[in-house]
Amino acid sequence: MATPIIDASHIIKDYGRVRALHGVSLEVGAGEFVALVGPSGCGKTTLLKILAGFEETTEGRLDIEGKDMRGVPAASRPTRMVFQKLALFPHKTVAQNIGFALKLQKFDKAEIDRRVVAMLELMHLNLDYLDRFPAQLSGGEQQRVALARALVSQPGVLLLDEPMSALDAKLKKSLQAELKKLHRELGTSFVLVTHDLEEAMMLADRICVMRAGRVVQIGTPTQIYYRPANMFVAGFIGETNFLPVDVSGSQDGGLIVGSPLVTGEPAVMEAGNVSEFLGEGNKALLIRPESIGFLKGEPSPGQWMLTGVVDEYFIKGSSTQYRIRVAGLEAPVVMDLPGSFELPAEVGEEVRIGFEPTRTFLLSE
Amino acid sequence: MKSQPKRWNDPILVAAVAPLAIVMLVFFLIPLAMTVLLTFQTTQYYRLHWTWDLKIWTEIFSKPHYWTIMLRTVGMAVICVVISILIAFPTAYALTTRLKTYSAQIQILIIFAFLTDAVLKTFGWILVLDRQGVANWLLSYLGLGPEAMDILFTPTGTMIGMVYNLAVYPMFTIYLSLARIDRDLVLASYDAGASRIRTFFEVTLPLSRPGLYSGAVLVFVLSLGAFLEPKVLGGGTSPLASELIRQSFETRVNWPLGAALTIVLIAIGALTLALAAAFVFRRSPAAAGGQA
Repeated sequence: MATPIIDASHIIKDYGRVRALHGVSLEVGAGEFVALVGPSGCGKTTLLKILAGFEETTEGRLDIEGKDMRGVPAASRPTRMVFQKLALFPHKTVAQNIGFALKLQKFDKAEIDRRVVAMLELMHLNLDYLDRFPAQLSGGEQQRVALARALVSQPGVLLLDEPMSALDAKLKKSLQAELKKLHRELGTSFVLVTHDLEEAMMLADRICVMRAGRVVQIGTPTQIYYRPANMFVAGFIGETNFLPVDVSGSQDGGLIVGSPLVTGEPAVMEAGNVSEFLGEGNKALLIRPESIGFLKGEPSPGQWMLTGVVDEYFIKGSSTQYRIRVAGLEAPVVMDLPGSFELPAEVGEEVRIGFEPTRTFLLSE
Repeated sequence: MKSQPKRWNDPILVAAVAPLAIVMLVFFLIPLAMTVLLTFQTTQYYRLHWTWDLKIWTEIFSKPHYWTIMLRTVGMAVICVVISILIAFPTAYALTTRLKTYSAQIQILIIFAFLTDAVLKTFGWILVLDRQGVANWLLSYLGLGPEAMDILFTPTGTMIGMVYNLAVYPMFTIYLSLARIDRDLVLASYDAGASRIRTFFEVTLPLSRPGLYSGAVLVFVLSLGAFLEPKVLGGGTSPLASELIRQSFETRVNWPLGAALTIVLIAIGALTLALAAAFVFRRSPAAAGGQA
């Protein structure tokens, strides 16, 4: 990342006595797709508003396209925003909505018309919609108009504030695919705010996971998924299992871990399977539902075994999910097994489950 | 917005609409029809004669005096609308922006003032507008008025009273419209590169139109029928339509004339509103439809 288009360093934002951002730093490369992810109230939207110029920073420096953004109003920034509730002007037609920014830049009418039509075509919108009002369009169409309105002025950075959260699942999927394609075609930098880490993993080049006004981890989707910084990040995507473990020492550059809950020899976790943010607090192994299964007979060497009772199972077609209640663990262990006609166990049955600790990931709280 | 098919044989629908329909029929449409009928009658020796005659209408159309007063009434109403809106809009705008924190408290104060009896408030203005009143004292104290100004018992006095009593209506209708505007729309306008002033004219003002128009209509209709203010503060030197109608009924006991003047006033009011509505709908069907 030679010249970041957005360079935010140590951004602090206070609302009265409440601190919303505690020194957040983020770089976005030219043409990069970055997702800001976190639970509600983590400050991701605040950060986006600061980038857009709707909020002033309390402290910290923000450069966009190499220029200090202090005191630069939203109107003069090279950013455009797609709002969560779209915020299409209800009293303007589709053409007027999209062409608004160009009209403000005093382009002549023919040029505005030409670019608006080009945007409609890019968004696969019917040209008959030009003279309609936003309320006359469907949710997905409004979404495209909102994207067209933001992209028409060829911004350096497109900011997206959970624009797909209100859509139904099917429409969401197709728009996500289109958004990714659009990003590839245009080469514009995208910053997407979402509370859905799965959406972020699908779309973004890099993900910035936030929590309580701080950045927890920035990394590629694979880094976030396979090398999460801590249990918060790991627990944020899908269903995961955490097995509390103790670190008793180190051996050959790896850490020796063991757990009183399991039957099995202490295992050595190699550096690649240990979070680089490993702290002093409680530690646990991250076991993905697909890397744990039923044991028939005794565990093989290197395997760890747990015993429990089947709590519930869900047949999902291609896979079957089991939830096993294990004494000493708060949450049931979630296992995803390949789907099969014969069910391996019934509810209430006592079962043995096993996994290989060296194929899991060690992290802390 | 799904439009339900209108089924007038639906008993629940009929039952729901019936009370209002009956009230409107008995207390509005029938009296209105009776007023129209009354204009074709004549009076002799203070008695109403049940005849069919166009005498009153020929009289009204032949005497410019009536039309001067009608025109003056409409003129006063239009000026009152303009001044009221000019006062109400900034107030409502401030209540949704700068004064947002105290908006509830300020509105309660305004409602208190509004609910105080209009007769009382209008007479109160005499104390302010009199030659020796507070207004003249204040003006001379500030060195702005070298001589005491005659405001009381002039059309200006009437106008002050009318605006004072009516500006509250558009203030609330505009406030409601402004408060409904999504803050994101304003931000979206800034985001597109618009200045604050440009945003006001491109987004805030067009979206406040429903409140603006309904407020204007309220003030217009109410000031057409203004009765108290011209009487108390106008001093009867330049009467308005309401005073003319009152005189016809009470002093001259010429009911057909009063009825005809009433019909003329209603017609002028309805025509003005129809023209205004046509203008509004032609300019922006979406804003008039109030889509959000």
